[in-house]
Amino acid sequence: MTQKELQVQRLVKEAQEAYLRLHTRRHFLKESAMGLGALAMGSLLGGCGGNSNAIAPVAFDPAHPLLPKPPQFAGKAKSVIYLHMAGAPSQLELFDYKPELMKMDGQDCPPSLLAGKKFAFISGVPKMLGPQARFAQHGESRTWVSENLPHFSTVVDEVSFLKAVTTDQFNHAPAQLLMHTGSPRLGRPSMGSWVTYGLGTENQNLPGFVVLTSGGSFPDAGKSVWGSGFLPSVYQGVQCRSEGDPVLFIKDPNGMSRDLRKASIETINEANRQEYAEYNDPEILSRISQYEMAYRMQITAPEVMNINDEPSYIHEMYGTQPGKSCFANNVLLARKLVEKGVRYVQLFDWGWDAHGDSPNNAVNIGLINKCRTIDKAITALLLDLKQRGLLEETLVVWGGEFGRTPMMENRNGINAPFKGRDHHTEAFTIWMAGGGIKPGYTYGETDEIGYSAVSGKTDAFDIQATILNQLGFNHEQFTYYFQGRPFRLTDVGGKVIRDIIA
Amino acid sequence: MFLSVSGLMGRFHPILVHLPIGILLLACFFQWLSIKERFALLRPAIPVMLFWGVLSGIFSCLTGYMLSLSADYDADLVEQHQWLGILSVTASLIFYLLYKFSFNEKMARWFSLGIIVLITITGHLGGSLTHGSDYLTSALHNNQEGPALKPIPNIQEAALYPGVVQPLLQARCYSCHGPEKQKGKLRLDQQNFILKGGKDGVALIAGKADESEMIRRILLPVSNEKHMPPKEKPQLTAEEIALLHWWINTGADFNKKIKDLPQTEKIKPVLIALQSGNVKKEENAMPDQQVAKADETIVSRLKKAGVIVGPVAQNSNYLSANFVNANADSLITLLEPLKEQLLWLKLDHAAINDAAMPVIGKLTTLTKLQLSNTLVTDQGIAALQSLHHLASLNLTGTKVTAKGIERLKPLKALRYLYLYQTDVKNQEWTSLQKAFPATRLDSGKYIVASLPTDTMIVKPPPKKM
Repeated sequence: MTQKELQVQRLVKEAQEAYLRLHTRRHFLKESAMGLGALAMGSLLGGCGGNSNAIAPVAFDPAHPLLPKPPQFAGKAKSVIYLHMAGAPSQLELFDYKPELMKMDGQDCPPSLLAGKKFAFISGVPKMLGPQARFAQHGESRTWVSENLPHFSTVVDEVSFLKAVTTDQFNHAPAQLLMHTGSPRLGRPSMGSWVTYGLGTENQNLPGFVVLTSGGSFPDAGKSVWGSGFLPSVYQGVQCRSEGDPVLFIKDPNGMSRDLRKASIETINEANRQEYAEYNDPEILSRISQYEMAYRMQITAPEVMNINDEPSYIHEMYGTQPGKSCFANNVLLARKLVEKGVRYVQLFDWGWDAHGDSPNNAVNIGLINKCRTIDKAITALLLDLKQRGLLEETLVVWGGEFGRTPMMENRNGINAPFKGRDHHTEAFTIWMAGGGIKPGYTYGETDEIGYSAVSGKTDAFDIQATILNQLGFNHEQFTYYFQGRPFRLTDVGGKVIRDIIA
Repeated sequence: MFLSVSGLMGRFHPILVHLPIGILLLACFFQWLSIKERFALLRPAIPVMLFWGVLSGIFSCLTGYMLSLSADYDADLVEQHQWLGILSVTASLIFYLLYKFSFNEKMARWFSLGIIVLITITGHLGGSLTHGSDYLTSALHNNQEGPALKPIPNIQEAALYPGVVQPLLQARCYSCHGPEKQKGKLRLDQQNFILKGGKDGVALIAGKADESEMIRRILLPVSNEKHMPPKEKPQLTAEEIALLHWWINTGADFNKKIKDLPQTEKIKPVLIALQSGNVKKEENAMPDQQVAKADETIVSRLKKAGVIVGPVAQNSNYLSANFVNANADSLITLLEPLKEQLLWLKLDHAAINDAAMPVIGKLTTLTKLQLSNTLVTDQGIAALQSLHHLASLNLTGTKVTAKGIERLKPLKALRYLYLYQTDVKNQEWTSLQKAFPATRLDSGKYIVASLPTDTMIVKPPPKKM
């Protein structure tokens, strides 16, 4: 054999081995002993989420997605009414009384408050702006409330105030998303979706998660703020119209009998079921259950969704304006829905963004008018829930997405034409009531000009964790498996605010 | 200079100490293993290990001594730990010399056994110094997170310091400021130590809680380095802080009874809550005892009829039932077999009347019952006298009168009674409230009276020309 032949032979052998290495089971197993072993061990040890006292995941039944499910532990609250003042109301004109700030009114803002800070609009050195409302102490809890909320100040003893809420988002849309979905970016399920996913809803003839808007505009974050994200879409918020009939086409068209209606929906659902058998897409099941819900809602919705048959003293109490689109109507509707077993009612009222660029956005003009549209309604809601025995099990939350600066806004370095305040992330006020929350209590404190939180600092995750806790969920163990990992509403944050729990 | 360097070196003691522990223990195990023929080849390794074990042991002793100079620890415990540590190293050294110069199998076995015992005891003492002497046992009773104070049956007769303050300090402070450890030279387990204070001066000024360092530290934000207890430890609740605050403000007395001290408006509810355990927990709370699973056939029959019925929580056999989507009248009798499990029952707006009440009267586990907007009357609710656990009863929108309601007096657990839109007359509320001293009667009829400003619109000031 020549040198050359030997070399060829060796090359062929090498090639064969290389081929074998790629293809034979023996080689595969040999090469991957370590990797496979580690994988096997990983699964034996229970994987990353291995936790001996883990709570069983929420059972999801795609055919009956809204049937009630037990919470992880017996919660005090059964339902939630979340009143979101979109645009962010000024805590300094409502709840956070700062006489020291008055003394600084009109002075240049000290550099220590500006160094290294970012604001949405303030640039250069703004002037300080003292409180534009008079304050007084109310109730047995001696809580400071401004003259802008004369009615609400009579019910402060029902409420727990969080005075040192913070956020890290100073634009409306991301801050609203953070408040309601736990992430400033699009795509996460909203709190109402998480809650209806986890608990289902009591009344099978109504949606579990209803959204009502007022103030003439949607919240800046759009419909994503009540979206279902990666949860099955049956859990997204059902938005009702705030003017005229809350739900359109609730009556059967002329000439269509109830039986015919039923038969047609049955036929559509049958077709969808066949589709599901073929493609196995759970969204088809969502669609089927939505059709069934729509059919059942035809019976219950006209009664529940209509505030007109409430007695006139109730209308007077809430300060409603029947026929118009207004916050008070929505609040009354929210009470009716909760009374009928709807799990989560989300209200958005737009128009709280008091920059001072116009009279409507001035803290001493427009803000007062906005307060007058909500004052009676929020007061009536707490009292009405209370007298019906519903406040025990209904958690009411009121707040915006961030706070407002103790400085006057100076967009582009020019003082605003009216008295206004910029977006502020470091301190704002949110209150909660009912559903096992301590009545007449204040948690958290800001510094003497209301610029930043001094004690009892909380954030969106803490509020979400607390809401879930009142409903019977440990927010750290309430997860949904998506894209290879468990997700939770509070992401990696959140601490239940035990201080405000009764 | 020397002190700070030695202080730094001392901090390495808790790390370094594991070297001699590991090496010497292994050497001793090898000694016993090598008795067996198959492990005989381990024998030459033993003196090598002993050499390194002794060397690292000497360094551990030195750093340990430097750490003890910082004196944040219980002196007795440190002394025991120190001498036992030195004894362990000395014994190991002798063991090593035995191997080098005159080996004796029997002696070697005794030495190895003795060293194992010495190291175990020394190590345990060291652990007690760093983690507290109850570190091991506390895992057994697992009382770290829970409330520091147990309910006190007769709070006014109890003495404030031994009854309330001391248990509080014990639960939240002793682990760092107690017999074993005195962080910042502060010890809080005895009267003279509390009054003496620590490194930064006195801990409390009797009568002036707000100026007392103890309260000031407790009230600092949790993120502050000086906040007490440290943020990783269980924190004091608002009520516990209020109690400490009150104790100092009333003169930080160590003997007086609570009834002999001036009680502020702020402290009264805290004291009441302490007496009853936790008043607020009663309504909605779960019964303590377990219950057997409910009859599945009945539950599924109810479900099929549209009744929302299911466990009140995962891993619980107690049930709640809601008739919002079902015709209650024909189904109510089905509830009777569930009487041991049924905790909450919601029948508002259901088409039921007095005829259904005898069945509900048999559901004696109920804690919450909603009969609002039903046709029940005085006659019917008399049957509810047997619901001894009932904490919340909603009769809103029914035809009941004060006379009928007074027959519910035997319901001692009742905390909430909702009577909005009932036939109770205005003049009857005072006597009714007297009949139910422990119950919050809600008469409703709240009014939010209109103010002229409600509909006024604030307009901007006219523009100057």
